[in-house]
Amino acid sequence: MNRPGSPPPLPRRLSAPAAQGPACVPGQAAVRSQVLDNGLKIIVWSDHSIPCVALHNWVRVGSRNEVPGLTGLAHFFEHMMFNGTRRHGAGEFDRLMEAQGGSNNAFTCDDLTVYQDWFPRGALDLVFELEADRIQGLSLAPAMIESERGVVYSERLLRVDDNNQGYLSEQVQAAAFIAHPYRFPTIGRAEDIRAWTARDLRQFYRTYYAPNNQTIVLVGDVSHEEAFALARRHLGRLPRQPDPPAVQVQEPEQFGERRVVVRRPAQMALLQYAYKAPAANDALGPALTLLLTALVDGNASRLHRLLVEQRVVAQDVAADWHQGFDPSLCWFWFTLAEGVDPHAARDIIDAELAAVVASGLTDADLNRARNLNASGFWKQLSTIDGKAHLLGEYEALRGGWRKLFVAPQRHAAVTRADITAAARLLLNSRRRTVGMLLPDHRSSP
Amino acid sequence: MNSSPARIIELNRRNFGVPAHERLVLANGLTLVMVPRRDVPLVAFQLLIRGGALGDPLGRAGVASLTAGLLDKGAGELDAAAFAESVEGAGGSFVATAAPECLAVSGQFLAADQPRLLALLADAIMQPRFAPSEFTRQQQRQIGHLKALKDSDPSELLPQYGRALLFGSHAYGQPASGSEDSLQAITLKDIVEYHRAHIGADRAVLVVAGDIDGNWLKAAVERHFGGWRRAGLPLPEVEPTVKLRRRRVLLVDAPGAAQSYFWLGATGLDRSYRDRAALDLVNSLFGGRFTSLLNTELRIRSGLSYGAGSGFTRGRAAGEFAIRSFAASQHTVRALDLSLQTLSRLKRAGVTQSMLDSARSYVVGQYPMNLETAADWAAQLAELELYGLDPQYIEGYGSALRNVSVTSARRVIEEAFPVGRQLALVVIGDAARVRKRLGRYGPVQEVALAAGRFTA
Repeated sequence: MNRPGSPPPLPRRLSAPAAQGPACVPGQAAVRSQVLDNGLKIIVWSDHSIPCVALHNWVRVGSRNEVPGLTGLAHFFEHMMFNGTRRHGAGEFDRLMEAQGGSNNAFTCDDLTVYQDWFPRGALDLVFELEADRIQGLSLAPAMIESERGVVYSERLLRVDDNNQGYLSEQVQAAAFIAHPYRFPTIGRAEDIRAWTARDLRQFYRTYYAPNNQTIVLVGDVSHEEAFALARRHLGRLPRQPDPPAVQVQEPEQFGERRVVVRRPAQMALLQYAYKAPAANDALGPALTLLLTALVDGNASRLHRLLVEQRVVAQDVAADWHQGFDPSLCWFWFTLAEGVDPHAARDIIDAELAAVVASGLTDADLNRARNLNASGFWKQLSTIDGKAHLLGEYEALRGGWRKLFVAPQRHAAVTRADITAAARLLLNSRRRTVGMLLPDHRSSP
Repeated sequence: MNSSPARIIELNRRNFGVPAHERLVLANGLTLVMVPRRDVPLVAFQLLIRGGALGDPLGRAGVASLTAGLLDKGAGELDAAAFAESVEGAGGSFVATAAPECLAVSGQFLAADQPRLLALLADAIMQPRFAPSEFTRQQQRQIGHLKALKDSDPSELLPQYGRALLFGSHAYGQPASGSEDSLQAITLKDIVEYHRAHIGADRAVLVVAGDIDGNWLKAAVERHFGGWRRAGLPLPEVEPTVKLRRRRVLLVDAPGAAQSYFWLGATGLDRSYRDRAALDLVNSLFGGRFTSLLNTELRIRSGLSYGAGSGFTRGRAAGEFAIRSFAASQHTVRALDLSLQTLSRLKRAGVTQSMLDSARSYVVGQYPMNLETAADWAAQLAELELYGLDPQYIEGYGSALRNVSVTSARRVIEEAFPVGRQLALVVIGDAARVRKRLGRYGPVQEVALAAGRFTA
């Protein structure tokens, strides 16, 4: 999900069916879920391979829920979730968790905000207490808001203002949508970061941090009964709230290519494509995923081989389908080789993509994409954190966590015809936005 | 927390246990370590070859790195495209990089493809083609990679600038990645010579971890690697590094940069340092976790920066201790001063028992998650071999952590953490906005970010 230059998921701090291998994913029997009376869902994968637990809280809010003037609020709020409650003063959340061996992070994207704790099993009770406390008793003290504003502003400078890929992506994203809030940068516009108030944050908190708008995923050295009992004890009394207002904006159909040109101090030109793409749970999902893998993942991929090895016009290629609740974008990022004119690179890329639309992928392309996907999937399943992430993603975006366990079969069933259909739908230049960053050799912008 | 002896033993085993593995040395000197593990149908490997960038000729930093980058660009019967197809067609990965003291090849394959993995790895190491066209392309690509970082993530290059400033002409001062200029100076002859002189079985350790059959693997490794020759030259020596006596300052001019990205480094410790446990606890408290002293000052209390941290790089000789952070250009001096004051405070006030207890819980609690997968273990066991350490390095770590006292922490702070004059300071930022204000830290040298070198 996190590729170079991609519009974030923004982490709080620095710091994928098998052609071979088992056809079914082990572990389904170790997963159980329960919904509390207040609507909070708990999913538990009991796995005793290491004496640790990963707890993720998936909250169904992101920059998709924002409005002009308050962009970046979901992400800023995520930061404030670490900054003190009525019971635990500012800094206590981290201090208590680290003192019992735990660490944490969080990230925000267009659709979701996810809080992650990783800790030894002895800290289970503390972690539940801390999580329950901050989803009901956050202080939002004015001094902490001001200080955190500086932190997020610094984060924005790092990822956008001082990062050419990030800067261009923000411009392309803004041009790709005319109505849908997917046009907002998750980090927030600079002026908005300076502007939001405690009142905005309180309103946001009340609206979105309801038990019925969250899903807690636990994976690791914990039994189902123990996890459910802790959830009931710490989180069972939170009152259910009205469902947050639905995002009803529909992006109108796009009937022609949009172009964005940016001039910045740079040594290399950049080229980005953002195609309109379906929502996460679309039936074409597995075909789309395999198509992108075949096009850009690895040295044998179609676009890498052509652009980096054969024609030597690009330094790197990458792609990502942004999978959200609503139809969004599929991105391609090209870092061009020094001195290459982006228009010339675009012509070469477009001819190759046209060939993919006309004749699809070869058997070798599809086979490679399947196997790369399978090994990526198993790799992610080899950690408690990877398991928690996959469970959460399938639950939030792909029709429920159980779908995770049939992912290999779904990917294995994709045919070359399915891929061609996906390519025809996706790679339509009338439904894309093209961004170019051209080196500006003057000394200052 | 229950700390009965039985519980401590159990905790030790679960947190600091090394998985069962088998180690043997082939007649040509190759060390093979096998770690069976069957949670997922994957096999991970890590091959380390001693030497790395230590074998780079003077003025041509990046030879080891470019050699590594060329290993899979055609080998044995396969040209570059066929090699990539063979790896990725099987869902595998294959990455070769050069570090300051070793060359590392790592990857992961589906378990069923172990025969292919070994054949490809043996070809890449023993029979790389080094075709002239691939050489030129890879050379330009690695140069381009550095330029792209300067455009989109310049702070990633702070260690290269910092090590050059701190260690000067010592091998540790030469960037393992090479610089744009030094990469450009390299010829194909340098690569062929590096391969002859510095890649050989007697320098290598191969760890294979995952869903393996030990007996089959042993025979297959013997078959594929038994004929691997020894390296043409003896392992390069590493001269001792020295501490700075006067502060050095390098300003890397990035016109238009909104923030200053900085690195404060000093000569630290080598691999043989006797009290790793105390070092880890103190660094965790100073700059190694979210509530660390540094992050508390630069982020939590002041809101100056998105983050601040510190760490030690320990090699055969003493590598660097470094602090890293960043802040908006107008706050550059405030952020630097705060970093220096926080370091002075650690030197002056040390750490308390309750701080140590918290750091100990943290390091113990997080430890198993750093060694969770077959790939993690392959990397860890290979590193132990590289530095001549045994599994006791891990198995004894729990009790070593328990034995750290305020007094031993005090000693580590005295020995390992620098005083102000020993520091080298690098700032990547807009010189027009920060140049004048950096003079207070010492005489300022300057280089343009776009220049093809890491020194003034």
